Amino acid sequence: MFTLCPAEQVPADEPLRVVLDDGHAVAVYSWNGAYYCTDDLCTHGEASLAEGYVENGEIFCPFHMGSFCISTGEPRAAPCSVPIRSYSVIEQDGQLLIER
Amino acid sequence: MATQAEQIDKAPGRWARKYPELGQEPLPVTPYIDPEYYEKEKARIFKKQWLYVALEREVPEVGSYKVRRLDCADTSVIIIRGKDNVIRAFHNACSHRGNTVVTETGQETYGRNRAGVVTCRFHGWVYDAKGALVNVPQEERFYSCFDKAENGLTEVHCDTWAGFIFVNVDAGPVQPLNEFLGGYADHFGGFDFAACDYGFTYHTTLNCNWKVASDAFAEAYHVDTIHAGSFPNVFEGPIEDVQLFGPHRTCSVRLQVDNLPQTPIGDLANQRSRGSLAAQGNASSLPPTLNPNREADWAFELSVLFPSVLLHVSEGIWFTHQFWPISHDKTLWEGKYYLNKPRTHSELWGFERAMVLQRNAWLEDTATMEDTYRAMLSGAKKVQHLQDEEILIRHNCKVVDDYVHG
Ligand code: FES
Ligand code: FES
Ligand SMILES: [Fe+2]
Repeated sequence: MFTLCPAEQVPADEPLRVVLDDGHAVAVYSWNGAYYCTDDLCTHGEASLAEGYVENGEIFCPFHMGSFCISTGEPRAAPCSVPIRSYSVIEQDGQLLIER
Repeated sequence: MATQAEQIDKAPGRWARKYPELGQEPLPVTPYIDPEYYEKEKARIFKKQWLYVALEREVPEVGSYKVRRLDCADTSVIIIRGKDNVIRAFHNACSHRGNTVVTETGQETYGRNRAGVVTCRFHGWVYDAKGALVNVPQEERFYSCFDKAENGLTEVHCDTWAGFIFVNVDAGPVQPLNEFLGGYADHFGGFDFAACDYGFTYHTTLNCNWKVASDAFAEAYHVDTIHAGSFPNVFEGPIEDVQLFGPHRTCSVRLQVDNLPQTPIGDLANQRSRGSLAAQGNASSLPPTLNPNREADWAFELSVLFPSVLLHVSEGIWFTHQFWPISHDKTLWEGKYYLNKPRTHSELWGFERAMVLQRNAWLEDTATMEDTYRAMLSGAKKVQHLQDEEILIRHNCKVVDDYVHG
């Protein structure tokens, strides 16, 4: 289990980049009343997805506007074709946690 | 003992006495109509001097950018705020095959990317706000002689003053901005331009040389005649407080206080909010350099920020006219007017009225420009005759000519 951050820290309108204790970076999303988490690094290039924007449950990469589903990590829009890893988020005592 | 008023020279010819080096002779029409003269203006002025291209608040956040087209310098520039909060400027030209990196939608294009990058839409090269090339799709297919580190965006000189962003596209070292502005910066630097955070813009492209357009706004002699409809006898033809600062210049325009229009609607509007220049204002927003003696007839400061910006400041108001040459006979004019954000509906209504008044006046101003230019092209008149109160125009002709021949 990895602790992400207090739930209230995740902005409603943009993703949050969190570096886990093992140095791995993930992006945390608050969307439609639920929390989501995926790898932060885009699979198309060296972009931080947390610097992109979420629309309709998809994270749009800031480099080439490719996108992934924030729940499954599946690529949704070109040029992205390789999925990113997604994690299920557990909320416990106001903290967000993921399993990895 | 002489009073201050008596010391001020008001007699005809006063500016020629103050600035004898500007001469009194008629000035040639050629610089307005000769395409070769314009090519020299481009090379020696617009590609070599600082140009006001944006306000800091137009790029408010990390990753905010504005692209300003500069036909007068054969380019367009990206002005972008980086993650370090520094504003930098670059030619909008991709290192791959030269496409514009940001796709422009007009003379001014705005956008923001939270990652602080811009992406060329042709093949997807990505540049950060320091200009570094950070991503090349299929990079492994380029040859070994290709070095990402050497193929960033081409930076242009960029600096700010009082919330104004300037660029200088000269590839070599340039005069520092504060040196270029000189006394002009001291004269206006005390005014809080950022406080006026509400405004309106008009623009149009005119078939005339940029100097024809700029000249038409750089004197008050025309007000009595051309603005007889919108501002009847409201402003004095003679200007006061003329000062030259290197290539820049300023003066103040005075009200004919007794002639201020008094209409039921106008009075109501002016009581609520001073949005119009044709109304007396106090001096709460003015630094000591502007209307230094706090004279009741002082309407506004009319200045020229070389080469082609007219900057005006009044109580709670400032505005610019920008004249962007597109070719020797085509000019983009932009009028941008700024006020304090209205707090009530009645203030807003007062401002809307001021906006309409101003629009009418600007229509009257711009209406002469194409006619003037067409008549100049006839070749019938080789010179223009400037009177003493048109001294700002005379100064501009001299300064431009010095650059062109210097
Ligand atoms: S780097 Fe993410 S879409 Fe290209
Ligand atoms: S021209 Fe810009 S990426 Fe090809
Ligand atoms: Fe005018």
